[in-house]
Amino acid sequence: MVDATMPLRRRRFRVRNLRFWIPLTWIMMLVLAALCAPLIAPHDPLAQDLFLERLPPFFMDGAEPGYWLGTDSLGRDVLSRMIYGARIALFVSVIAAVSTGIFGSTLGLLAGYYGGWWDRVISRLVDIWMAFPPVLFAVLLVAVMGTGLTSVIAAIALIDWTRFARVIRAETMVQAHMDYVDSARIGGARRFTTLVSEILPNVMPSIIALLMLEMGIAVIVEAILSFVNLSISSDDPTWGSMIAEGRGAIHFAWWVLLFPLITLFLTVLSFSTLGEGIKKKFDPVLSS
Amino acid sequence: MTTQPHENTLEIRQLNATLPNGMRLLRDVSLTLEPGEVRALVGESGAGKSMIGRAVLGILPSAVVHSSGDILLEGQSLNAMRPKTRRSIVAKMSALIPQDPLTALNPVRKIGPQITDPLVRIHRWSRDRALKRALELLERVHIRNPERVMNSYPHELSGGMRQRILIAAAFAPSPRLIVADEPTTALDVTVQKQILKLIRELQRETGTAVLFVTHDMGVVAKISQKVTVLFAGRVLEDAPTEAIFNDAAHLYTRGLIAATPTPNATAEPFRPVPQDLIAQLQRDTQAEDVRFYQGGRK
Repeated sequence: MVDATMPLRRRRFRVRNLRFWIPLTWIMMLVLAALCAPLIAPHDPLAQDLFLERLPPFFMDGAEPGYWLGTDSLGRDVLSRMIYGARIALFVSVIAAVSTGIFGSTLGLLAGYYGGWWDRVISRLVDIWMAFPPVLFAVLLVAVMGTGLTSVIAAIALIDWTRFARVIRAETMVQAHMDYVDSARIGGARRFTTLVSEILPNVMPSIIALLMLEMGIAVIVEAILSFVNLSISSDDPTWGSMIAEGRGAIHFAWWVLLFPLITLFLTVLSFSTLGEGIKKKFDPVLSS
Repeated sequence: MTTQPHENTLEIRQLNATLPNGMRLLRDVSLTLEPGEVRALVGESGAGKSMIGRAVLGILPSAVVHSSGDILLEGQSLNAMRPKTRRSIVAKMSALIPQDPLTALNPVRKIGPQITDPLVRIHRWSRDRALKRALELLERVHIRNPERVMNSYPHELSGGMRQRILIAAAFAPSPRLIVADEPTTALDVTVQKQILKLIRELQRETGTAVLFVTHDMGVVAKISQKVTVLFAGRVLEDAPTEAIFNDAAHLYTRGLIAATPTPNATAEPFRPVPQDLIAQLQRDTQAEDVRFYQGGRK
C-alpha cells in the first residue's frame, strides 16, 4: 500500500513545486537584471547608431556580434533596452501593486467587517468605479495628471483598488461570521483589534495572491500606457514603448516587437502563478 | 436600595429581542442563575436558546433590536453601563464554550496565544502566569502533550481536542459565568460524553455558574440542576431538573421528554411532540404578540 501511493504523492509534490519555482526563477532573473542593469547590459540603451539599424538577432544571417537580440530602427540594442525596461516595469509593478493593495484591502476590510454604512458607501463606490472602462479611465487620468511614472502608478491604484476591495470584502464577511471572531470579542478584544489581529491574518493569503496578480496587471497597464505614449518619454526604454515602436517595423524587423512581448507575457504569467503558490505557502491549512 | 447582598451570578429581567421586521426573538424572558449552578436552556430550533446566551455575552447579531429588559451580572445592571465598560465587565466575568469547535479557533493563529490572549488582555495576568495556567488547564482536560498543542495550529488537531481546548480556554480565568452554547452538538456521540463529563467536573472545581444551551433532554438530565424550557422565545417552564423529569408542569415539556429517543427503540417507538400542542402554542404566541404591540409597551 505504501509502495502504491508513494510515487503518486511524490510526483504531485514536485509538480506543485515546479509551478512555484519556475515563475520565481523568472522573476528573480528580472529583479537581478533590473538591479544590475548597467553591469549586464551590453550597450547603452539610449545610444543610437544609424549604421547599425535593424540588425537581426544572433541566430539570423547578418547579425552583428554583441547585439544579441538585434537593434531597432534607430540602431539601439534591443537586449539592453529590455534589461533597462525591466527596471521601470518592476518599479511600477511593485509600487503600484502595494499601494493599490493597501488602499483596496483597507476599504474591503472595513466594508466587510463593520458593514452598515461603511459597506453601503464602499460597495456603491466600487459599483460606480467598475462601470468606467479601465483603459479609458487610465488614459484620462494620465492625461489630466500629466505623463510620468507617478501618474502611471497613481492611475493603476485609482483604477484597480476595486479588485482588492471586492475580494477582501467578501473574504472578510466570511471570516467575520466565524465563531472565533465572537470568541475574541467575548475575550475583550475591541472591534478594531479583532479586525487587525484575528481577521486580517486570515485574509492575508488572499491579499498576497491578489498583490501578485496586481503586479502582473500593473506591468500590462504600464506597457499599455507606454504603448500610447502616456507613460514616460518615449526615449526611455519601456517594454510598452518598444512594442509600440516594433509595431511599425513588424514586417522587416519583427524582433523589436517580439522579444519585449514575450518578456511581458512571461512576466505577467509568472506573477499570477507565483501568487497562487505563495498563497498556499502562507496558508497553514493549505500548506500542510 | 441595594443594601442586600446580590447572590445571583446572572439575572435576566424581562428580556425582549426583536428583529427590525417586528419578529420577536425573545419575549419577556426572565431567569436567574445562582453561583455554581448549572441551568439548562432547552427548546426546539429557533426557540431563542442561543439568543439568550448571546445577549448575555453582548454578541447578538447586529440586526437584533434590543427593545427592553435588563441583564444583571452579580447585581450589576449591564443596561446602565457604557458599551466599553460593559464589554470589559462581561469579558472579566464570563466566557463562552462555543457550539462549533471547528470555527471557534482562529485557523491562522497558534493555540497558545488564543488561550492566553484574554488572560493577559482582560485579566491583566503576566505572560508567564497565563502560560502556566493554560498548560495546567490543557492537562486538566486530558490533553497529552500540552506544550506541543500550544504550538500547534487548530487544523492539526481533532474536533474533540479542539472542543477540549475551548473548554480549557473558557475555564482558564475561573470566570463567574460560562455560557455553553450546545457544546456537544458538533461532536460525535462517544466524544460528547467525555466533553459533558469534563464540563461538569471543571464546573464543580471552579464553582462557575453555567448557562447550558441544548436541545438534548438526555444532556439536560446529566448536567443541570435547573431547567428553563423555551418556546418561540418565551419561557414556558422554569423548574429544578428533577421536577421537570418527574412531574413537568407544562404539556410541552412532557412532550419534549417523551420525544427523547431511547436506545431501546423497539420497545418504545419514537414520539415527537404532538402537532396540535405546537399549533396551540403558536396561537398563544401570536395572541401574545397582538397584546404586545397593541399594549404599546415598547
